[in-house]
Order: sequence, then C-alpha cells, then structure tokens
Amino acid sequence: MSTHIGSLLFHRKWILAISLPVLIAAWWAFRPEKLWINQKVNEAAPFASSSEPQPLYTGRLQGEAHQTSGRATVYKAADGTEYLRLTDFSTSNGPDVHVLLGRIGDDNLKQEIVKGQLDSIELGSLKGNQGDQNYSVPPSANLQKYDAVIIYCKRFHAVFGVAKLEQF
Amino acid sequence: MLSKIKLVLALAALAFTFALQTSARAQDSMQHEDGMKQNDGMKHEDGMKQDDNMKHGDSMPQENNGKALETGTFHGKVHNTSGRATIYRGEDGKLILRLTNFKTSNGPDVHVILVAAKDADDDANFLKSSTRRVELGKLKGNEGDQNYEVPSGTDLTKFQTVSIYCERFNANFGAAPLEKF
Repeated sequence: MSTHIGSLLFHRKWILAISLPVLIAAWWAFRPEKLWINQKVNEAAPFASSSEPQPLYTGRLQGEAHQTSGRATVYKAADGTEYLRLTDFSTSNGPDVHVLLGRIGDDNLKQEIVKGQLDSIELGSLKGNQGDQNYSVPPSANLQKYDAVIIYCKRFHAVFGVAKLEQF
Repeated sequence: MLSKIKLVLALAALAFTFALQTSARAQDSMQHEDGMKQNDGMKHEDGMKQDDNMKHGDSMPQENNGKALETGTFHGKVHNTSGRATIYRGEDGKLILRLTNFKTSNGPDVHVILVAAKDADDDANFLKSSTRRVELGKLKGNEGDQNYEVPSGTDLTKFQTVSIYCERFNANFGAAPLEKF
C-alpha cells in the first residue's frame, strides 16, 4: 500500500518536473498575455522645429477619365503656410485643367464626368501635365473634410485623376 | 491651285493644334525658408503671389534637416498591422524612420527591420537567410508614434520595405513598401 502511494507521489513529481519547464518555455515563446496587454508609445516627431516643410497628408493619384499617376502631398512650410506638391506626376494634357481639393466621399466623383455640383476648393490651373509642381492651399481649407486632390477639366467636367489624402 | 493652298493651310492649322497638345512640363522645387531659396525667388509669402510660370531645372536641395524622403502604409491582416512609415533625413544626413498612426499586435521579440525587397507577404515566414535586412531595433510599442534610427550607409534604393518582424518565429506581422515623394 505504502509503495503504491510512494510511486504515485513519484509520478506526480515526475509530471511536475517535466510540465513546469515546458509551460515556462511555452509562455516565454508565445507570451500569450501580450494578446491583452498593449504597449502604447507616443514619440514626438523628430523634426518638429525643422525649417524643412513637413508632410501632413499624402496619397497616390489614380486615373479616372484619363491616365493619371503620381503622388500628391500636402506640406506645411516653416512659416505655417500649407501647399500641395505633386511629384512623379503625369496626366494627359487638356484644356482648362485645374487642381482641386474635394471630398473623397462625394457622389459626383463616382463617375468620370461630373453631373452635379462638385464641392471643391480651387487650387489653381494645372501648371504642367508632367513634372513636380506646387500649389498653395488656402489657410481656410479644412483638409480633414477635403481629403481628395482632383485633377479636373472644367470645360468638360471630366475628372482626370483623384488622390485620396491620408494623414501622416 | 487655290484649293491646294487651302488644303495645305488647313493641314498646317491641324498640325499646329496637335503640337499645342503635347506635354507641358512643370518643375517646381520644394518651398524653403532658408536664404538660399529666397534669392531664387522661390519663397511665397502667401498663396496669391505664386508665380505660375516657375520652371526650374534644379533638383531639390539635399542637405536640409527633417526632409521627408519616402513613405508607405502598412498592410498585414493576420496580425492587424496598420499605419504609416516615413523616412526622414535628419542632421548630418542621418536617416530616421517614423511610424505614425501605428498599430500592430503585441508579441514576443518583435523588431523593426528594413528588407531588401519590394514588399513582404502577410504573416509569411518570409525571411530566407539570403534576404538582406537592416535591423532598426526592438519595436518600442505595438501602438503609437515612434522613431527609429536607420544605420548610416543604408541604401534605400535596395532596402525598400519596412517590416514588423517577429524574430522568434520568423514571422512578418506587417510590411510597408516605401515610395519616394
């Protein structure tokens, strides 16, 4: 009887001796508690006081009525003014083409030809259908609301290309 | 004879219109506050003064502090990774990677690396021993804005992707392919 209990105890010790390191190893490898624990950091931008314009929003241009490509980025200059810069930019040349800020959710943007009234902010005539170019953004423009850059042919109400602006 | 001249004239007019349709190329450089650029007539006091006919052949100045070079957004569905990665050039040409709006799942032994690849698949055990990588450090947090120093001499034309990488399991939590501005 006593030997039976003894072997049972021995077995238990044995199981414990094996399973404990295995459990610890498994915990170390997978760290399951991290599924619930978040580690939040909030470092400041490294160049907040820089004289270099800092990017605020950016997006890639997608072609609509005409093939359009490139990147649209809104920068904030050191003096606080904001401007849109197109880089790597290419679209087709056309008459009366303008650069606008609009809303990406605007139903008028769903078709290539705008039928209704486009809710937009004018940034100016397109300076060139290729190449890097800058456009001033009026200080009143709310870029949280106007989150799209539109290359727009006013004469034919044609949307050449749209870029959805995403925050940095 | 007269009709021939008319025809030639009409053709010439047509050719002229098509010639006008060819590309117009613009080449603005970045707007700066430093004196060098002011002499150039590039500084804009306000929106209205912007000259529409600025064509410049010169490239952007290189040695400025805090210039954004490349950016990309994270994808990674299995580990729910999202946010933006941007590389800035700091003082002395030092490169800094900044993650913003960043979120991934917390995990053991997670690192931020640059990989010499165009992109990386979600959750793949993607790093072959031959894949070249640059270690930027342990992930500081699985949420929030954070900065990492990129070792000097890193060739960004080769190392085109930021990866959130779990070393222990050779798993890619999320990747952000970088694109130039």
